[in-house]
Amino acid sequence: MDFYYSLAQIIGFHTLLGLSAYIVLQTGQVTLAQAGFFAIGAYVAGMLTVLAGWHLVPAMIVAGLAAAIMACLVGFPALRVRGLMLVIATLAFGEAVRLFFFNFDYQIAKGDVKIGPLGGEGFRQIRWFPENGWTSFEIMLFVWAVVALVAGALWWIDRSRFGAVLRAVGEDELAAQSVGINLTAVKVTAMTIGGFIAGLGGSIYAHYTTHIEHANFNVLLATFAIAYPILGGLRSVFGTIVAVIFVQGFLVEGLRFMGDWRNLLFGALIVAAMNLRPHGLIDAATARRLARLFGREQRRA
Amino acid sequence: MIVDIVQTLLNGLAAGAAYALLGVGFTMMFGVMRRLNLSYGATLMFGGYLGALLASRAGGALPDAALVLLAAAVTVAGATLAGLYVERLCFAPLRGRSGVAAMVSSFAVWMQIEEFSTWLLPLHTNPYPAPFNVASWQLGALTLRPEHLLTLLVAVLVAILLHRLLRASRFGLAVRTLSDSPAAAQAVGIDAGRTTLLAFLAASTVGGIGAWLVLVADQQVTPMFGMWSMAKGLIAMMLGGLGSIPGAVAGGLLLGVLEASGQALFGPQIRELIAWGALFLVLVLRPGGLFGRAAFDLDIAAHQRL
Amino acid sequence: MLDVKDVVTAYGKIEALKGVSLSVEPGSITCLLGPNGAGKTTLMYTIAGILRPRRGSVRFGGDELVGQSADRVVNRGIALVPENRLVFPQMSVTENLAAGAYLRHDHGEIASDLEKLFARFPALKERRSQPAGTLSGGEQQMLAVARALMSRPKLLMMDEPSMGLAPLVVEEIFRIVGELNRDGITIFMVEQNAHMALKVAHKFFLMEQGKVTFAGAPGEVAQDEVIRRAYLGSAKAT
Repeated sequence: MDFYYSLAQIIGFHTLLGLSAYIVLQTGQVTLAQAGFFAIGAYVAGMLTVLAGWHLVPAMIVAGLAAAIMACLVGFPALRVRGLMLVIATLAFGEAVRLFFFNFDYQIAKGDVKIGPLGGEGFRQIRWFPENGWTSFEIMLFVWAVVALVAGALWWIDRSRFGAVLRAVGEDELAAQSVGINLTAVKVTAMTIGGFIAGLGGSIYAHYTTHIEHANFNVLLATFAIAYPILGGLRSVFGTIVAVIFVQGFLVEGLRFMGDWRNLLFGALIVAAMNLRPHGLIDAATARRLARLFGREQRRA
Repeated sequence: MIVDIVQTLLNGLAAGAAYALLGVGFTMMFGVMRRLNLSYGATLMFGGYLGALLASRAGGALPDAALVLLAAAVTVAGATLAGLYVERLCFAPLRGRSGVAAMVSSFAVWMQIEEFSTWLLPLHTNPYPAPFNVASWQLGALTLRPEHLLTLLVAVLVAILLHRLLRASRFGLAVRTLSDSPAAAQAVGIDAGRTTLLAFLAASTVGGIGAWLVLVADQQVTPMFGMWSMAKGLIAMMLGGLGSIPGAVAGGLLLGVLEASGQALFGPQIRELIAWGALFLVLVLRPGGLFGRAAFDLDIAAHQRL
Repeated sequence: MLDVKDVVTAYGKIEALKGVSLSVEPGSITCLLGPNGAGKTTLMYTIAGILRPRRGSVRFGGDELVGQSADRVVNRGIALVPENRLVFPQMSVTENLAAGAYLRHDHGEIASDLEKLFARFPALKERRSQPAGTLSGGEQQMLAVARALMSRPKLLMMDEPSMGLAPLVVEEIFRIVGELNRDGITIFMVEQNAHMALKVAHKFFLMEQGKVTFAGAPGEVAQDEVIRRAYLGSAKAT
């Protein structure tokens, strides 16, 4: 059973990662910076619980805020570029963050051992969950409570006026500007919210795995972050969640028995998915069909 | 002091010459497709792995010189072959359609190729056949390393050949029209599919040569090589301005010098950080790259397709 | 010479051409009128082989063009001057012209054609080594026409050649269109400037919402109440 609890936790923080990219993608910005914010969240939260002895929840909030502030700071210059240039600028930022942690030492002595981040060695012993006696089941509940909160908030944003503004910017910047939408404010806000969510995800990840190192936060992770919402069709938070379950639950875990061949098949399946469904697993037509299935009218055209 | 600076510059230019080739391959692909090929590094790694595989299986049976030449041929051919696979699978079926889908596909294929390469050679470090048994030469206080000279020589040669190919051949004309304006290229009857494929293969070959130069200098290949070579190619390309071949050459050389100077000043750990930091700054401050604006217009076109 | 029959071209589910039929007589100047979004450019692209129709046939001198790739169509003798000129902005004027002759292999002839075109368009000759993106709008239009001529077309298709150009330049372009036609090139043009088109064209078609709704000679065009109001202003026909 523990295997499934653990898998559910993995799906949980990957969902947060995907959702952090989802809101930024709504504004039409394709970003590879999410792994960087995820890393900031992981390191900050880990340092707060391990080095400062904080409770996990305030540590997560502070970690989320730290990532959000960084995202806000990156958001302003990043606005100058768009499209592919933004993809690459955010990739450069993400890699710079990773390499920062690769060079980052901050160790203190606790008893007779030194703890804390140590450059390429990484950051070990982020053991807040076991030290406080949480079971795997409880951790899973906690993770999914956070996911539900975040997904609920984003679902609400999607239906709010602000969500419409986000999508307006994503559809056509010029048109959005011409109806008086402040592009800078909207994009930076989306980036900041995305940073906060990625920071939360990263802090959970650090405590799930107990050992983090710079290599965990590479461009693969950043690409996963945008792949989830894109596979999910960019239409609702549920698409992203479905995509994470598809990728992490089915492709990564479900195909583990295939050993070395797993990644080959994994690649082939993603290629097939993108070729057959270029607008995501849940595209407009599927969404309409689902809505009909549940007897609901489609609210958005 | 002056000697140190000249030495650093020389080391930087030699490394940069290889980066330039990596960047040129990458930028040619972007130019004809307006798409980012995320599996570029993996295809180069595949070539490198084939070279190392050759050395591990047939190393004893061949004379050194033959092994070195054969490894070079296998590496470049392997990179080109993997390029063919990527183009057919990720880019040809989605031509003119969703750019993000093509990019995500190429990302998936990246993992595929990487996995396949490490399946061929599961060790973390694999020796790569290198032609240098000679030590470095001393020229006054300067140290001249043979692999640096080889890199500079080959890079200049490839640059001249590529320039001839693009400026003075019918194929080059097609490539340039397609990079300049795909819609106009169609109007004058250029076969976009065929030209893209051939340009993609040529770009993979150039990248493969760049990869070979790096591997020969390192004398080994690791599973990190795909990621690494893509990063260098990407930074070289972007520093110079997306889609511009002379820009990629200048960007590669600049990257080499920046890294070498950073290393000389702050130590080796900082090398990579400087490269990415410089890229981020250049992109947000001068989105068209350091050497012109042309690419910025390309990006607007690319953005519309994305 | 060119016979378009019942052509349907769609973008996804939206049919831009809903069964278009028209024909272009050899040696004529034929003009296609119509509001924005009527499908005129789509028709040009379909004939040129850049878009593939869902149904219908396009015959050129007896050969079926539907299903042929764009380069084959150019090879058959049809050249397109695309909307908004679409020169190669970073390539020089000479290189642009060389690109126009991409499908030809007769190098000697290409060189002499180049000289002939420079004689016809002296402004291009002056700027032969300049990047095309630095040319004025009128010069770019001349370049686009010259580039199309480099393929030695029998049929020259021009998509709104006067769009966004100053009146003097427009007159110059129509003068050249007349000259080319006298040299034996058949011309099929999309044009909003009906006043100018009436002076040179022999035959008119009107397209609205993906269908041809009118066909006639210049005299009939001037008589037609709807066209007159939409394309010639309220001025009475003479």
